[in-house]
Amino acid sequence: MASRTASVWDGREVVSLLVRRDLKVKYQSSFLGYAWSMLEPLAMAAIYWFVFGVLYGQRVGPDGGGTNGYVIFLLAGLLPWLTFNAGITDSTRALTSQSKLITTMKVPREVFPLGVVAGKVVEFFFSLPVLLLFAVIFRIWPSWEGLYWLPAALLTQTVLLAGLALLLSSANVLLRDVQRIVRILTRLMFYAAPIIYPLSKVTDAAASGHVPVWLKNVYEANPIVGIMQMFHAVWFPSEAPDTKLLLTSVIGSLVVFAFGWWLFRRLEPAILKEL
Amino acid sequence: MTQPIIEAQGISVEFARNRRRRLSVRELFIHQSRRQAKGKFFALKDVSFQISPGECVGIIGKNGTGKSTLLKVIAGVLIPDEGTVQVHGKVAPLLELRAGFSDELSGRENVYLVGSLHGMSKDDIDSGFESIIDFAGEQVSDAIDTPVKHYSSGMKVRLGFALIAQLEHPIMLVDEVLAVGDKAFRKKCYATIEKMLADGRTMVLVSHSEGDLKRFCNRGLYIEKGHLKVDGPLTEALAAYNADTDVIGKK
Repeated sequence: MASRTASVWDGREVVSLLVRRDLKVKYQSSFLGYAWSMLEPLAMAAIYWFVFGVLYGQRVGPDGGGTNGYVIFLLAGLLPWLTFNAGITDSTRALTSQSKLITTMKVPREVFPLGVVAGKVVEFFFSLPVLLLFAVIFRIWPSWEGLYWLPAALLTQTVLLAGLALLLSSANVLLRDVQRIVRILTRLMFYAAPIIYPLSKVTDAAASGHVPVWLKNVYEANPIVGIMQMFHAVWFPSEAPDTKLLLTSVIGSLVVFAFGWWLFRRLEPAILKEL
Repeated sequence: MTQPIIEAQGISVEFARNRRRRLSVRELFIHQSRRQAKGKFFALKDVSFQISPGECVGIIGKNGTGKSTLLKVIAGVLIPDEGTVQVHGKVAPLLELRAGFSDELSGRENVYLVGSLHGMSKDDIDSGFESIIDFAGEQVSDAIDTPVKHYSSGMKVRLGFALIAQLEHPIMLVDEVLAVGDKAFRKKCYATIEKMLADGRTMVLVSHSEGDLKRFCNRGLYIEKGHLKVDGPLTEALAAYNADTDVIGKK
């Protein structure tokens, strides 16, 4: 285990090479290149802002935010979500699409899914200017305490994403159905996490009996819920996750990571044969 | 006797016969009984050998008897089900004619990417770049800044070999690369390989060409149906291979 970790660490050079290659290919082969990192979240934010912010009025965002606040709220959740979503989708295919490299070169195989994750995190930083732009326009600023949530949120999300990447990429080699299932599940996850609506909508509904309490507990057991709350807490201190939610996210992400790592090691011989 | 550079101890690799067709969930549940009936087979069964530094070993055998599998196990891109392989030193592999190039990137970018993946530093590649392109030939050097997807397969192989030839790893694995490429290129390959062997590097070669094998190798491993049948001087291994083939021919 220790030597394995060391060899992955030695492979960090390889990871950075792969990340740079992926970004290069991505930005080189399309006309707008880098702009896409910002246009996609912008388009999605526009849709949800129109539907929920305009058509449903101001009742959607967190208290005191107003419509402008809702735009910030949307972007603060959509940017990390799109990172997460793209990370899962791409890393699921990380091994199958890189089979040429994997079958000809001896590198720790973990670097391929982990490299995808690293690339997505870099792209997340590239997309942040969109959020800052709207913050400047609307004059909504994060508090200093709020800013502490950003690294915490990003770190937890990266651990969870890395775990899922190891899990899904290895499973997908043996079972190609995985990439289809993933597409459906990410869609489901998007609505099953407080990204376009605040968590209070769910807790209020549970408190008033519209949603059974067990369902609310299942909902909150999802580590993504706490992660999204952390991302929102940067801008809206009222959204900061409580200790229980925070622990659920952190422990949940670590468990997923450990399981993903274990499964990857377990399946590795079979994966190499299959590729 | 010197310390062996490659040590293989009872390696077995087992493949499930119809895993070549991708398994889907539906099959997993519905056709399970049929899947099991087809069973598994050993691509390699209990193969042990040792290779000393500076040796050039030819692996021979019919198609589908596990030669390439063995090479992959040595390269570390396949993990054996049983047994262990110890390789003391870095390996420069040329397997299945692909060097692992990305189609979207240009030849130049690929050289840097794959070179670095093999552990070359940027300076190494910078200084070796001229000779890589030179080796790969005029066609490649003209197209070095176009994406590799527009290369012919011959060009890709040439660039791949040129790059791998720059590596200073002590072990070379070569799988049927010499069979492709035109005459002029083959000549260059021979010269390079001879130079490498003269430098005291170790080479494992898979080939169907008796001429190539006799040219470089002093030792042969003859593999039949996954079993290591002959491990000895090349002439002996070739004789056994030819004898088996002749029997089939007479039938």
